[in-house]
Amino acid sequence: MTGATIFEPVLADLSERHRDEVLSAFAAVENSPDPVPEALLAALRDATLRRSVEEMLNLIGRTLVRAGQGGTGGQARWTSGYRDDIAARLTAGGWNSLPAADRAVLALVLIHSVAIPRTEGTLAGDSWVDGTPTPVEELQRRSQIPRGDLRQSLSRLRAAGLVRVVPARPRPGAVPQSTAYLPGPQFHRLTESARRRLQEEFILAAGPGTPLAAAIRRRRENHEGGAQ
Amino acid sequence: MTGQDGAQDTALAWARARAAGPLRTPPDAPVPDGMIRLAEPDGTAAWLVPRVPDTADTRVLAELGLAGPLLEMPNDTARLLAATLRCCWEDPHEPPWPGRPAAEAEVLTVFGDLTGPRDEAAHRRSAVAGLRRLDQAGWLLWDEAAGAVRLGPRVALWSGSDLAVLRQLWRSINFPECSPEIITPTRDVTGGAGQAPAPEPAPGPGPGEDR
Repeated sequence: MTGATIFEPVLADLSERHRDEVLSAFAAVENSPDPVPEALLAALRDATLRRSVEEMLNLIGRTLVRAGQGGTGGQARWTSGYRDDIAARLTAGGWNSLPAADRAVLALVLIHSVAIPRTEGTLAGDSWVDGTPTPVEELQRRSQIPRGDLRQSLSRLRAAGLVRVVPARPRPGAVPQSTAYLPGPQFHRLTESARRRLQEEFILAAGPGTPLAAAIRRRRENHEGGAQ
Repeated sequence: MTGQDGAQDTALAWARARAAGPLRTPPDAPVPDGMIRLAEPDGTAAWLVPRVPDTADTRVLAELGLAGPLLEMPNDTARLLAATLRCCWEDPHEPPWPGRPAAEAEVLTVFGDLTGPRDEAAHRRSAVAGLRRLDQAGWLLWDEAAGAVRLGPRVALWSGSDLAVLRQLWRSINFPECSPEIITPTRDVTGGAGQAPAPEPAPGPGPGEDR
């Protein structure tokens, strides 16, 4: 009962050393909550071995995601996420949906921490992980969710890696706030196309009558027409 | 079914298990590549659990000095799993799955021995939170209405070396002297896990990680 046969087509032709390196890299990107610096693992640094990691992930509905530079030294970091086609089928099948209250709270964190700062031009790039922390008081004011339910939602989202707690940035003259939230490390796992779709959903929700929203709708219609 | 369709179905089954934990299926459902099938003792259903090579599991994180997934209340959660293992793993020379159902009260008694004296309300609160967490992740099956607990399908992934350590743990935990009515649960626990809400559960050998 090894169960490892699913990966054999990828691993069979590798030397024992390369096989170990590929398996370690696979395990690291699949299980580490944060992206893995490529300096740590030969199979992430080497393009040929990295392709084997990608092939292993593809067999189980996953893909390798480059998480961009982080920490000191600016080296590349890698994680894994759902393949776009698989994510679409999971969503369509109702798998893994969050309770409505949790989705509302998560959307508020994304809007205040990332979408608004990006619109204002204070946040560059397409990452959904970094941004301006949203104080818990802001969530209480905006969510219309009872305080106890909000606390439970935030606790579930935090346990799932969808939000993380950071110290609130003190504002001049204001009473220091205790807790603030940013999107959690799971957002590193979004593929480039998933990050774009998320951004587009916010544009469609916030400004459905804008030329940008019209362009998004047009492109999606063309894409769907072309796919049929 | 062509090979291409088969590969797509396998990929989707693995992704579902990643999203929701072990998959509960009809007893005769096909087993996707790389998964193991665990029959329910009463034959009404089976669990499909993905299995990766031992050298590609969560242990790699510690070897690389990487942090594991966040787990709330890790100590109490581990104690609760240990208590469930002590109560449900009848013969530690046999595989832990499926084990026997235990009454919730029985598991809570062992849990109480492991945590030491606590205020009754705090004891109950941490036990219920741990039961819920472990049930969602597939480490145990908790039938809240029936007050019964069983080991979950994920325990079938423990390796031989994991089991050697767990056998020692099992022997080191005192089994409670319970009255017969709390040893026998009111009914079997047959399901409930597999609905884990966490988006990317970190599968792994023990609850000292996660997901």
